[in-house]
Amino acid sequence: MAAVADSHRRARTPLLRVLRSEYFVLLLSAAYCAACAPFTPDFATGGNIANVLATLLPLFVAALGQTVVLITGGIDLSAMSIVALASIAGAAVMSGEQGLLAGSPSAVPAALLAMALVGAAAGALNGVAIACLRLPPFIVTLTSMMFFSGLAIALTQSRNIGALPAAFNALGGSTWLTLAIAIVAGAGVHVMLARSLWGRWLYAVGHNPRVARVSGVPVPGVVIGAYVASGVLAAAASVLYTGQAESGSPVLAQRLLLDIICATVIGGASLFGGRGGVLGTLFGALFLKLIDNSLNLMGRSHFSIMMVKGAVILGAAVLDMARSRLEEK
Amino acid sequence: MQRIRFATASCLLAGALWCGCNKTEPGGAPDGAGGAAAERRLTIGVSFEILQTEFWVAALEAFRAELGRRNMLIIEAIADGDANRQIEQVRNFITRKVDGIVMVPKDAKACLPIIKAANAANIPIVLFNRPPDKSDARSVAVVADNFALTRDTVTYMIGEAKKTGTTHKAMLLIGDLGDINAIGRRDGFDAAVNENPGVLDVVARVPTEWNQEKAQAGVVNALQANPDISFIFTSSDFLLPSIVSALTGAGKYKKAGEPGHVILGGFDGDATAYRMLAEGYLDATGVQDVYFEVAACVRAIVDARAGTPAPETIKDPGFVIHRANREKMAPRMWGANVTQ
Repeated sequence: MAAVADSHRRARTPLLRVLRSEYFVLLLSAAYCAACAPFTPDFATGGNIANVLATLLPLFVAALGQTVVLITGGIDLSAMSIVALASIAGAAVMSGEQGLLAGSPSAVPAALLAMALVGAAAGALNGVAIACLRLPPFIVTLTSMMFFSGLAIALTQSRNIGALPAAFNALGGSTWLTLAIAIVAGAGVHVMLARSLWGRWLYAVGHNPRVARVSGVPVPGVVIGAYVASGVLAAAASVLYTGQAESGSPVLAQRLLLDIICATVIGGASLFGGRGGVLGTLFGALFLKLIDNSLNLMGRSHFSIMMVKGAVILGAAVLDMARSRLEEK
Repeated sequence: MQRIRFATASCLLAGALWCGCNKTEPGGAPDGAGGAAAERRLTIGVSFEILQTEFWVAALEAFRAELGRRNMLIIEAIADGDANRQIEQVRNFITRKVDGIVMVPKDAKACLPIIKAANAANIPIVLFNRPPDKSDARSVAVVADNFALTRDTVTYMIGEAKKTGTTHKAMLLIGDLGDINAIGRRDGFDAAVNENPGVLDVVARVPTEWNQEKAQAGVVNALQANPDISFIFTSSDFLLPSIVSALTGAGKYKKAGEPGHVILGGFDGDATAYRMLAEGYLDATGVQDVYFEVAACVRAIVDARAGTPAPETIKDPGFVIHRANREKMAPRMWGANVTQ
């Protein structure tokens, strides 16, 4: 009997290892690339890799914030509304046409600061409502999403703000600069998650908030901090998206929420909290962008791309469940 | 072991990043002169911001037909309402070295980096139905005259209202104000109202964000607050079913000539509008000439490749269709053709 159990365990171990590995999604991405390259025109070219990178990096930065929140067992549906709000706040400061500091050398730094502050404030609002008022994250961030979106549209009367300084546009338009920002953001979050006490508290809160509270973890502060981090990272993503589009928009990236959650979950963050990491999120975003890019290059219709992405999200959720069950065993 | 795996993964990623960041600038147009190139079928990338309404679906179908007629290949991409996704998709077109790009941009400003990228790759780019902001980026825009066409449509409707001899309470359904077409139509409505003082009292402006559910809720609310609304203009015909539903619920969905008829008008010229016009429920709609616009887009690309620059903006004057001229104008109305 023991021998049978042992043989089952041995058989399961490689599968377990692969499933639990942080690099599983990277392997999946590599396999996907190998499978697609022969059939996808211009897929494995430097120019196309640059395209993938240019869209992967802002998504990665935005998904980092979602990762932090998911680790606590929450969710931030307002992330893209914060992206839009930060976008118009920054543009309103630095726009050459109507900006508060138009033409000033301090316009870009001031705009970046304004964007970060908007992100932090919006995140803090979410965090306080969730941690102090004990409201469900889904409801809080859903309503704040509507509020922030409405606010952004009301403040701009739905008009985009253009004439942004070239130095700012380069942050989203130059792949090197975007990469530098993404590396700084990724490294910062990685250090916070893996090397700091706050990071351990985040995982503890995500695993079991009650036990964490009993163990002396300042749960409300940790939760508020997670949403503030999510807001600031959404603002960082907003810098990249706004620079890419060379304009501040009240509806910037409004349809990317699904991509963000999808990238995060594919990367191994659990919707139930307590699990997730920077590398996994990077690989999740990469996998998602590879699918987008390859199907687009193949000339597949929008509807088939949506169907494939839907199937991938479902697959990621099933995988998440499988991982949880395997870990329980 | 963990470190080896991490190092391998890092190397893979670093390699990819290096290739990506050191991208060569996209080259020129793929074919040079020569017999082989002349025989090669041209490939046109068509990027739509969204396929939300019949108008965009009809336009995409018209592009397929027009490009097929000219023996050209089409690559399609739909950005699902996201400007950054559209940037990505058009970059993919450039990677695939298409011979021309047609784009329905998400907005007038965010399309500028796309146009610049196409300019850098020496690929002709034409904007369908939405013009870009002023910039040094080179493109051709084929657009309906939203302002004038809406003003003319609403002016016709006001003419119908004047015949009743009373002041009408009016409702305007506004589109997504992030869309320059929606702004043009709103301004066209306001211009017609201001040019005809004393005929309309605009009591409701319903923001729809081009969403049927929001439109229906807005119209229901407006009719509850102002049950005597008797004049409705929608910035797009695709919102007509929402209006019909709300009017039916309020017992106000009547044909022209029947007591209680609400003077109803729209913009686009879709199949629903044509049917309602034929049945007598709709008074007028401003029709965008999709076939003219599509043909003009493709012609502009062909001309650009031949070295003949097209004008920066090609205007589609469109036309107002109403009950009196319906039979005459129907063959040019894309919605009528969809119906048939």
